[in-house]
Amino acid sequence: MILAAVFYLFAFILLLSGFLVITARNPVHSVLFLILAFFNAAGLFVLLGAEFIAMILVIVYVGAVAVLFLFVVMMLDIDFAHLRKGAMQYVPLGLLVGVILLTELVISVSAWQFNSLSQQNLAVPEIGLNAATNTQALGAVLYTQYVYAFQLAGLILLVAMIGAIVLTHRVRPGVRKQSIESQNARRPEEAMEILKVQSGAGIS
Amino acid sequence: MSEFGFLDFNLVPLLPEVFLALSAMGFLLIGVSFGDEARRVIPWYALLALLMTGVLVSQVSFDDAIVLGGMFKADAYSGFVKLLIIGGVMATLGLSMRYLEQEHIDQMEFYVLVLLASVGMMFMVSAVNLLSLYMALELQSLSLYVLAAFNRQSPRAAEAGVKYFALGGLASGMMLFGISLIYGFTGSLDFGTLTASMMVMQPVPFAVIFGLVFLLAGLAFKLSAAPFHMWTPDVYEGAPTAVTALFAMVPKLAALALLMRILFEPFAYLVPQWEQIIIFLAVMSMIVGAFGAIAQSNIKRLIAYSSIGHIGYALIGVAAASEGGINAVLLHMLIYMAMTAGTFAVIMAMRRGGRSVERIDDLAGLSRSQPILAYALGILMFSMAGVPPFAGFFGKLMIFQAAIGAELYALAIFGVVASVVAAYYYLRIVKVMFFDEAVLMLDLNVLSGPQRFILACSVAFVLFFILSPSAFIDSTQLAAAALFPGR
Amino acid sequence: MSIDREIEMFLAFAWMLGHIIVLIVGVLLGVAYLTYAERKVLGAMQRRQGPMTVGPWGLLQPIADGVKLFSKETIIPSQANKIVFLLAPVILFALALVAWAVIPVDKDWVLANINVGILYLFAISSLGVYGIIMAGWASNSRYAFLGGLRSASQMVSYEVSMGLIIVCVILCTGSLNLQEIVLAPRPIWMQIWLFPMFIVFLISILAECNRAPFDLPEGESEITGGFMVEYSAMTFALFFLGEYANMILMSAMATTLFLGGWLPPFGMWFLDFVPGIVWFGLKTCAILFFFLWARATLPRFRYDQLMRLGWKIFLPLTLLWVVGTAGLLLAFDALP
Repeated sequence: MILAAVFYLFAFILLLSGFLVITARNPVHSVLFLILAFFNAAGLFVLLGAEFIAMILVIVYVGAVAVLFLFVVMMLDIDFAHLRKGAMQYVPLGLLVGVILLTELVISVSAWQFNSLSQQNLAVPEIGLNAATNTQALGAVLYTQYVYAFQLAGLILLVAMIGAIVLTHRVRPGVRKQSIESQNARRPEEAMEILKVQSGAGIS
Repeated sequence: MSEFGFLDFNLVPLLPEVFLALSAMGFLLIGVSFGDEARRVIPWYALLALLMTGVLVSQVSFDDAIVLGGMFKADAYSGFVKLLIIGGVMATLGLSMRYLEQEHIDQMEFYVLVLLASVGMMFMVSAVNLLSLYMALELQSLSLYVLAAFNRQSPRAAEAGVKYFALGGLASGMMLFGISLIYGFTGSLDFGTLTASMMVMQPVPFAVIFGLVFLLAGLAFKLSAAPFHMWTPDVYEGAPTAVTALFAMVPKLAALALLMRILFEPFAYLVPQWEQIIIFLAVMSMIVGAFGAIAQSNIKRLIAYSSIGHIGYALIGVAAASEGGINAVLLHMLIYMAMTAGTFAVIMAMRRGGRSVERIDDLAGLSRSQPILAYALGILMFSMAGVPPFAGFFGKLMIFQAAIGAELYALAIFGVVASVVAAYYYLRIVKVMFFDEAVLMLDLNVLSGPQRFILACSVAFVLFFILSPSAFIDSTQLAAAALFPGR
Repeated sequence: MSIDREIEMFLAFAWMLGHIIVLIVGVLLGVAYLTYAERKVLGAMQRRQGPMTVGPWGLLQPIADGVKLFSKETIIPSQANKIVFLLAPVILFALALVAWAVIPVDKDWVLANINVGILYLFAISSLGVYGIIMAGWASNSRYAFLGGLRSASQMVSYEVSMGLIIVCVILCTGSLNLQEIVLAPRPIWMQIWLFPMFIVFLISILAECNRAPFDLPEGESEITGGFMVEYSAMTFALFFLGEYANMILMSAMATTLFLGGWLPPFGMWFLDFVPGIVWFGLKTCAILFFFLWARATLPRFRYDQLMRLGWKIFLPLTLLWVVGTAGLLLAFDALP
C-alpha cells in the first residue's frame, strides 16, 4: 500500500510538473519544473527496481544536461510570451496532428493483444540475470548482445562532438593566451635587469 | 567468450566498416595534432582509405554472414551497394578538394565527417535489425546535418543545416514511432524473426501496418521522396556545393537500399499493403520532380528537383516488387550517381571573378568560351533526360520494363510522361549553353585535375554504357538476387 | 495484521527515525565545529590565536555565531524571484544532508545499504549546483549571477573527472555498493596505482565544494561573495551549513573510496578493537584538514586556469587512468 501511495505521489508530481513545463510563463521556471519531472521519473524507476537507470537518469539528465539547459535559458533574454503569440496561429494545425496521432494510438492500442507469438519473440536475455544486480544485468547484455548498437552509439556521439566543435569553434586572430610552458621557462636573467641609478639622473 | 556462446563475435564481415571508422578517427587525431600541415595530405589519405575499404568490401562483404547478435548482415546485395557508396564518396572527395580550398572551408573535419557518414551508410545497408538500422541511420544523418552547415560564414548554409536538422529530427521521430509500434505488436526488432512472425500472423495486426507506414514516411524523408521532399531544394541550395554533390549521390542510394531491404525481407508478406504507399510516393515524386524544376533559376535547386524525380523513377522499380525491379533500381541509381558526379564537376566550374555562381543563366555562352565543358554538360543533360543512346535511357528503360512486368501499366505510362516533361528543363540548360548570348564570361580553367578526371569518367560512362551494358547489369542482377534467396 | 507485527513495524520505523536524527545532529555538530576548526587552523597557520573569547578556548564560538545568524532579519531583495530565492539555500542544505543516507560510517551502520550507493552519492553531489545557480539567478544581481554561472561551469567541469575517478575505483572493487567498496581487497599495487587518482580526487572535491583555491563562485575580492551576495540571516546560514556539510560529505566520500572507510589504517588488524566510527571520523577529519590547509596556503586560481586544469589536464589524465586500470586488471587477471 505504501508502494502504491509512493507511486501515485511520484506519478502525480511527474505529470503536474510536466504540464507546468509547458505552461510556466518564465522559461527558467519551465526548466526547473523539467528537472522536477526528471527527478520524479527517477523515483518511478526506483519503484520499478531499476535503480541503475534511475541514478543514471539523475546524473546525466539532471546533473549535466539540465544544468546546461538552465545555463543557456538563464543567459538568454527572450520574451517567450511574445514568441508564443506567433505560435498560436499554428495551434489548430498542431491540435489536428495531435488528435490524429491520438486516434491512431487508441485504435492500435485497442487492437493490442499480447499474443503468444510476440511473447515468444520478446528478446529474453539468455544469461541468468535474475540473480544478478541490475547493473550487472545491464552490463551483461549491453556489452554482448548489443555491443554493435553500443559501439554505433559511440560513433554517433563522436560525430556530435566533432560537429559541435566544427560549427562553433573559431580561431580568433590576435587573442593572447597564457602559455604556461614559456612562463615557466622564463629565467630572472632574461626578465630582469639590475641597474645602478645615480640619484637625480633617472633612467632613459 | 565461451560464456556468451550464443553470440557470433566474428568481426570479419565488419572489417571494411571498422577499418574506415578507425581511419576516420586516425585522421581526426592527425588533423588535430598537426594542424595546417595535415590539411594538404588528409584528402589523399581519405581517398586511399576509401580505396582500401573498397578492396576489403570486395574481399569480405559478399559472403553471406549474420554477425553480432543478428545486427549486421553481409551479402552480395549489401556488398554491391557498399561498393557503390564508396565509389560515390570517392567521387565527392575528388570533386571537393579544390572547391573547399576556393571557398576557404578546407578543414580536415570535412573529410572526417564524410568518412563517418560513409561508415553510417555502409552500416545502413547491412542492417538487419530495426535497432541497428536506426543507429546507422542516425550516424549518417548526424554527419550530414553538420556537413550541410559546414560553411559557417554563409547564413544560407546555416539555414540549410538547421532546416535539415529540424526536419530530419522529425523524420527520425516518426521512424521511431513506427518502430515502436512494430516492436509492440510483434515483440521483435530482428528482421528474421519479423519475417517469420509476418508469415504466421494472419491477418497482420493493423498497428504493424501503421508502424510500417511511419517507418516508410521517415525513410521517404531521407530519400527526399515527395511529399517528404520539402527540405531538399533549400538544403541543396544552401549547403556548400561539395556537400550538395555528396547529398545528391550517396545517402539516397543508402536509404533506398535500406528501404528495399526492409520491404523485401521482414515485410515481404505485406506487399499489397506497402505497394500502394510506394506507388503514391513514386507518383508524387515524379510530379514534383518534373513540374517543380521548371520554374527554377538556380542550378542547384534544379538538381534537387531532378533528384526528387529520379527517386520517383526508382520507386517505380521498388513498387514492381520483383527481382527485376530491384535490379533496375540498382542500375538506375548507379547510372544516376555517375551522371550526377559529372554534373557537379561542371557546377563547380561555374565561377566568375573567383566567386562561385549558381544561376542557370550564368551558363550562357559556355559553348563558345569553354566548348568541352559545354558538350560534357550537354551529354549529361541528355542522359538525365533519358534520351537514347546515353546511359540514363537504359536505367529508365529497365525500370519501366520491370513495372510492365509487374502489370503496373498506369505507373509505367505515368513515368514516361513525367520524363517527357522533365526533358524540357534538362534541354533548357543545353539551350542556354549553346544558343544564349553571354553577358559575362565564366572564369576559365577552374577545374583541378581530379575534377577533370571525374568529369571525363562520368561522360565516358554515359557515352559508352551502350557498348557493354551487361558488364553492369550482371553485377546488379547478382546483388538483386541476394535479396530473393530461394525465390 | 497482528498487533505484534504493527509494533514491529513501528519499532523499525522508530529505529530508522532515531538513526536519521543521530546522523543529522552529528553532521550539524560537525559543521558547527568545522567552522571553529577552520578559524583555529587558519589562525595557527597565520600565527594568530583564532576565536578565544566565547567559552573556554572559544569553543562556544560556533553556537554564538549560530544564534546571531538566527536572530537577524532575513532580507529579500524586492526585485528577487522570491520562491526560487528562498528555495535555493533549502535545496543546497537538504542535498548535503540527504546524501548521508548511504555513507557507511561503520560496519553495517548505514541508513540505506543500496546496490548503487556510489551512483546515488554522485547523483546527489551533482545536484548541488542547482542551489547555487538558482540563488545566482533569483537574486537578480549581477554579482550573484556571475557567481552562479561560474559555479555551474566549474562544478560541471570537475564532475566529469570525478566520475571517471569513481569508475577507476569501482573497476577495482567490482561493486557499486559503498560497503563492498570499503571491504573489497586491495593489493598494494592497486593502492599505488590508485594513489594519483586520490590526489586528483582531492583537488576535484576542492573545486566541487567551491573551496579555495577554486572559490571563484564566491570570490569575495572580485564579485563580493558571488551567489551569496544578497543572502542574509537564516538563508545565509542555510547556505553556510550546506556548504560545510558538503565539505564533510565529500571528505567522507573520499574516505570511503580511497582510505578504507571505517577500517583501521594500513590494514593494522590489531587496532580492530577501536570502533570503526572513530577511524572513519579520523580519516574524514584528515581530509577536512587538507581543505583548510589548502585554503591557508594557496592563492585563488584565475578562471581560465581553472578550466584548463579541469578539461585539459584532469579529463585526459583520468580517462587514461580508466583505460589503464581496465587494462591492468585484465592483464593481471585481477578483475573482481
